[in-house]
Amino acid sequence: MINVFFNILIFPGLIFLSIFGLGAEYFDRKLCAKLQNRVGPPWFQPLADFIKLLAKENVIPNQADPTVFTLMPVLAFTATLTAFFYIPLWQTKALSSFNGDLIVVLYLLTIPTLTFFLGGWYARSVFSMIGAARSIIQLFAYEIPLFLAILAPAMMAGTLSLSEMTVFYGSHPWLVLLNLVDFVIALVALLGKLEKTPFDIPEAETEIVAGCLTEYSGRLLAFFRIAIDMEMVVGSSLLAAVFLPFGFNFGFAIGFILYLVKVLFVVALLSLARTIVARLRIDQMINFCWKIVAPAAFLMLVVDLVVKGLISR
Amino acid sequence: MTLMSKIVNWARIKSPWIIHFNTGACNACDIEIIASLTPTYDIERFGILLKGTPRHADVLVCSGPVTRQIKDRLIRIYEQMAEPKFVVAVGTCACSGGVFRKCYNVGGGIDSAIPVSVYIPGCPASPKAIIDGVVKLLTSLEEKEAAAPPKTAEAVEIKG
Ligand code: SF4
Repeated sequence: MINVFFNILIFPGLIFLSIFGLGAEYFDRKLCAKLQNRVGPPWFQPLADFIKLLAKENVIPNQADPTVFTLMPVLAFTATLTAFFYIPLWQTKALSSFNGDLIVVLYLLTIPTLTFFLGGWYARSVFSMIGAARSIIQLFAYEIPLFLAILAPAMMAGTLSLSEMTVFYGSHPWLVLLNLVDFVIALVALLGKLEKTPFDIPEAETEIVAGCLTEYSGRLLAFFRIAIDMEMVVGSSLLAAVFLPFGFNFGFAIGFILYLVKVLFVVALLSLARTIVARLRIDQMINFCWKIVAPAAFLMLVVDLVVKGLISR
Repeated sequence: MTLMSKIVNWARIKSPWIIHFNTGACNACDIEIIASLTPTYDIERFGILLKGTPRHADVLVCSGPVTRQIKDRLIRIYEQMAEPKFVVAVGTCACSGGVFRKCYNVGGGIDSAIPVSVYIPGCPASPKAIIDGVVKLLTSLEEKEAAAPPKTAEAVEIKG
């Protein structure tokens, strides 16, 4: 029992994930700064931001619905934390797993976007409502490619459980190469999910102030921000588990370091994309996702089916 | 000072988020403010980020004299910010009204509408001066018990 609480609250649960989330945000911002040829923030920056926001006044606008407005950041926080428990980190076994946990993880990772939508919508300010509408439009554009891109490796492995997928790819390592295109597709979709720069249309600060989060301040904003950081880590862990499934058999120490390296590698790819690409318009984003990314994901699904047929023959 | 308030004060000093508001400047001060946000000067070193919404910001960076039209909006923006909040007046106009002082449509400096913590003179104030002013604001917070905003200044009536 104590073990379960330790796992959920401290390691690899709440505390570890929060610290790793803040660390990943620092890594992202520092790398971005380096790529732009500047110094960038000091290492404690995300932590200072978080503490400062916690200590700030909590403004709830008069026109907002106080229940939904205050509930949403907590919901985003909890959903990402829950998704983390089903992802294999440094061993093939996740903290908890069953056949079908892949689908649960994908849906839990959708919840933060929905909370942005609801929080922004119930703040009832013009900017946050536009941001909310945009974030839900964007959801429909990147969600299908992401599901397809993760479905293809799962189909290859013939299971919907993340832990069994890592076992399968552990015994068929060369099949990972087949998933490289899916990896790129999933990266693009993850950029959309995290609302990072090419797809930060819902919070475009030059047009609609701060999108869904316009009315949030203080503690609630702090929780939203740490939820986004944690979502970055959880999303990257998911990609690392599905597309970079190696190094699970070296025991705790090496496996753990490998896990950190893999997640930071995915985060580095995300911040690279964020530095070199400018923001798209919402219609360009939808076109890009539906005309290029989704067909590519479908194609990969077909390729995987054919290869699977050939192997099993 | 207890440990808790020490930590909070440290966090406030290390992470001032700003919002930029033009209260009627000739635009030169605004360009200098934007210049100080570029990679050349890189104020993210101090944890400073530009935010679009007053709800997220801690420091309101104002440029230009307060015109009659903008006065109500300026007060509105100031009130939308969450406590604790600080105001930095950039440019001679924002400090005192500058060349626009005593114009029929101008009320005076920023402090004629809202309390100001730091005045940065210059026409326009250079990015270095702006960064220096912000750093001075942050060091002044260090000495205080807890980072408390200044007392509200008496709002000066705009006379015709
Ligand atoms: S101080 Fe000078 S540059 Fe700045 S707004 Fe006034 S006139 Fe323009």
